[in-house]
Amino acid sequence: MWAIVVRNALMASRNVFFFFELLFWPIVGVLSIGLMTRFLRLTPEQASFVLIGTIALSVVNVCQLEVAYAVLLDVWSKSMKHQFLAPIGIRHLTAGSWLVGMARGLAIFVLLALLGGWAFDFDVLHPGWAALGAFLFGCFLTSWVVGVAVCALITLFGNRAEAFAWASVNLVLVLAGIYYPVSVLPEPVAALARAIPLTYFLDAYRTHYGFPSEFAAPVATGLALSALYAVLAHLAFLAAVRRARRTGLLLKMSE
Amino acid sequence: MLAIDARDVVKTFRSGWFRPRETRALQGVSLAVPRGAIVGLLGPNGAGKTTLLSILATLLTPDSGRVTVLGHDVTREAGALRRRLNMASGRPSFLWSLRVGEIIAFYGRLYGLSGSTLRRRVDALIELCELGPYRRAPYSELSTGLKQRVALAKSLVNDPELLFLDEPTLGLDPDVAGRMREHIARLRREQGITIVLTTHYMREAEELCDEIEFIKGGRILARGTSGELKRQIGLGEVVALKLDPPRVAWLGEAPGVLRCAEADGWVECTVDDAEKRLPELLRALHAEGVIVRNVRVSEPELEEVFVELAK
Ligand SMILES: Nc1ncnc2c1ncn2[C@@H]1O[C@H](COP(=O)(O)OP(=O)(O)O)[C@@H](O)[C@H]1O
Ligand SMILES: [Mg+2]
Repeated sequence: MWAIVVRNALMASRNVFFFFELLFWPIVGVLSIGLMTRFLRLTPEQASFVLIGTIALSVVNVCQLEVAYAVLLDVWSKSMKHQFLAPIGIRHLTAGSWLVGMARGLAIFVLLALLGGWAFDFDVLHPGWAALGAFLFGCFLTSWVVGVAVCALITLFGNRAEAFAWASVNLVLVLAGIYYPVSVLPEPVAALARAIPLTYFLDAYRTHYGFPSEFAAPVATGLALSALYAVLAHLAFLAAVRRARRTGLLLKMSE
Repeated sequence: MLAIDARDVVKTFRSGWFRPRETRALQGVSLAVPRGAIVGLLGPNGAGKTTLLSILATLLTPDSGRVTVLGHDVTREAGALRRRLNMASGRPSFLWSLRVGEIIAFYGRLYGLSGSTLRRRVDALIELCELGPYRRAPYSELSTGLKQRVALAKSLVNDPELLFLDEPTLGLDPDVAGRMREHIARLRREQGITIVLTTHYMREAEELCDEIEFIKGGRILARGTSGELKRQIGLGEVVALKLDPPRVAWLGEAPGVLRCAEADGWVECTVDDAEKRLPELLRALHAEGVIVRNVRVSEPELEEVFVELAK
């Protein structure tokens, strides 16, 4: 697992686009959304609501990308087979890259929170450390599930699945009520949103900004859902690797 | 004790969503490799060499057949087996921006090495594969020969008992390829590693391998030492004689002689076994009063065997 941590961290530090990826888009996102809240003359609470969504989106994106790097780096460098020749399980792969992902996600979070506080008087600590911790942990769990699901898709369908994988990720996040409460969604979509753990973590965090919770026990529900999906994603990835060993896709993705 | 015991291995690749295609990559291959041996899989492109190697290395699951490697079943006990083997290929590919030392260390960690053990192993491998000056060079900037040496170093990181080398000298200059072969021969000599390598160079197989498996179209067509292979094909050995008088009529019908031809004043007799036939021929010629001025014995090139088999 440490092997993956070191590798991902090294690759991150070598990547010319690292800072771009880590800083640019999230900052642009927060600034533009923040300015929009001014233009629309939202109350400070409403502005916080939207900013929380933006920050969560950035954190989840960065973290899940890092988790997906567990296989993506190898797919891109065509060295897939070496990783699967070694006596490690996929849990080592995903856990290792998740650790790096959390570090990057945390960095992004701190940066965006500071930016939000400085530019838009947004106070992340208002709900207290415990609520903040639960919220971040929720974001990271969601990232893990999404990242592992992307790994599974890519191992199942090869490089072709990449674009599809990212698209589906973004769909999931938009449904999670990033910028609006779930109650504004039409019923079938709202049902989908209720199936996404991030929805609950967002909801729980936002109660501290004066938005009554739409759910009974949001944090517990979010955790339970995450755990369920984590197991499912893990099993899917496991099955995908087995299949790739059978079809020879594992070889095709190397050399 | 066998390092590899594979029986009737079959593997068919299915590809294409619209028009499914089937490639019968292996059609019942059996292979037995004793510990400490170097065995070569020799065959043209698309013969199934890489497929067979990948199955033995647990990267691919066979459709049917029984495969036992180092006493482990490759599908049921893959985890335990993976610790004890490793693989390198002649067209290696690693994370482009990592440095040579980092690549070896990364794979070392995957095999559970850490701390000073890891550092010592990486140092030793860099020394062994003569990569010292390139330790800090990014992988993408290395030449083909160096990349292959990195691959070899990586494949030794877990101190494997069994090593698979897929076309280890592919695309190398002759002298660089020669050095790579020396490295390989030394691994077996000094560390007793069992090695299975694939190649489509006859010379390489002849020089390195105790036994050669000739594989084509997913089947093993012939096996044996290079000498046995030559005999098996019936190419025989050539006994060339310079005689006085220059022609002897009965030579073509002598026992063990497959055919006779004349070239540049030499009579070239292809015989089944030169060691046995040459004294017989000399005795017969002497008895006839023919003077033998010169004798030359040559083995057929494995190349000719290859051409013969590939037909
Ligand atoms: N991953 C794969 N998917 C589909 N077909 C494959 C795959 N790998 C090899 N093949 C096919 O199987 C046959 C044997 O290939 P291979 O074992 O690579 O041959 P060799 O290594 O002897 O050149 C070839 O016809 C090749 O096209
Ligand atoms: Mg090959």
